[in-house]
Amino acid sequence: MKFRRSSEIDEVLSFLTELGDEAQLLAGGTDIMIQLERGEISAQTLLHIERVAGMRGITENGRLTLGALTTHSDLARDPVLCDRYQSVAHAASLIGSWQTQSVGTIGGNVCNASPAADLLPPLLVHNTNVLLASQSRGERELPLADFVVGRRTITREPDELVTGFSLDSSADRTSDIYRKVGRRGAMEVAIVGLAIRLSVDQEGTISDARVAACSVAPVPFRAHSAEQALLGTKADKEHVDAAAALLVEQAEPIDDVRATARYRRMVLPRIFESAVTECRSRATKDLS
Amino acid sequence: MSPVETPTLVNGRSVAINGDGTTTLLSFLRDSLGLMGTKEGCSEGECGACTVLIDSQPVTSCIYPALAAQGRTIETIEGVHEGADLSPVQKALVATGGIQCGFCTPGFVMTLTGLLRKEPNPNADEVAESLAGNLCRCTGYSQIVEAAMSLSEPEEET
Repeated sequence: MKFRRSSEIDEVLSFLTELGDEAQLLAGGTDIMIQLERGEISAQTLLHIERVAGMRGITENGRLTLGALTTHSDLARDPVLCDRYQSVAHAASLIGSWQTQSVGTIGGNVCNASPAADLLPPLLVHNTNVLLASQSRGERELPLADFVVGRRTITREPDELVTGFSLDSSADRTSDIYRKVGRRGAMEVAIVGLAIRLSVDQEGTISDARVAACSVAPVPFRAHSAEQALLGTKADKEHVDAAAALLVEQAEPIDDVRATARYRRMVLPRIFESAVTECRSRATKDLS
Repeated sequence: MSPVETPTLVNGRSVAINGDGTTTLLSFLRDSLGLMGTKEGCSEGECGACTVLIDSQPVTSCIYPALAAQGRTIETIEGVHEGADLSPVQKALVATGGIQCGFCTPGFVMTLTGLLRKEPNPNADEVAESLAGNLCRCTGYSQIVEAAMSLSEPEEET
């Protein structure tokens, strides 16, 4: 298999124009190298983009932009993320191990489109847009839900490069949280992953609610009906239970090597309840 | 047009990487350079036996492409000794009984070397977290954490 390395975006785009789907993009390789070895994917050329200039880093200018080559280690320890995008930083810190996090990238995690991708629920609750570039189309932005559309299926065109992600700006009286259920703390693929972002008004009433889950459906998803059930409430038990039931209704879990569908349906509402309580309590902490 | 490439260093020695896209860094180190200290365990980046440092960051070399390491600084277990002496991490592992069969040890040494370089005073939780990707089937980990803690330099009490 051929190996081409590039450190310039323009050069990567012309390689992609030339090679199309004969090329497999490769950043940290933590998923790709295993899938190649297992024969799950094939390509004639590996296009190594790990060190492309200008695609690694976190910038806040209204919305928050995360370069596609930002590593999980970068995300986990970034002060802005740890303060106002806690779900993203925390999810990154739970991916694999230090070895995985030191080379694995956000772009890779999203494009791999695993049903269990830890970063997808947090990105979904921050209304993330995927930033794409190509020679034929120039630059375009797609909502994440229109990018990851199936199990291991994304809508990137063969000549396109994912350059980054654009997240909603942070807001007052708002907090976010990621909860992951696994059998152990390290090298764990989520049995259930859940992200929540809540905003409250001056009275502590929920004015914006966003809920997303992974590992309980072929694609990580936003639970809009559960969100509606939380809106206008103070997260009292009755409304949280109702929202949890709607979340479970939307989930389509399966039995697999990690857990049964039944277990997933049982654990999902439990972590939802505790996560909503914790998240609302953080969002209301500045109310006098 | 082609700029002079930054040399790839393995334990301070400049090397030319060979192989194709699917050649792993582990295979290059063992089969091309004869550096047999880095071990192949799971071959899927789960067990950490193949851990080496690339630019001071621990990486599972069994799933990292050799050619991706072009121009970078790689450290393996063969490079950690200090002259004729074992490295401080190696000595601490010997002293606490953190080695039994020894197969996982090179990976643990490399991860701990990376940790202590980044954070000279880790607490036990930080040590355990840093070792999340290194599996040991013999020791039960306590002695390994103990070894790292014996090297942690507590900050001066004020």
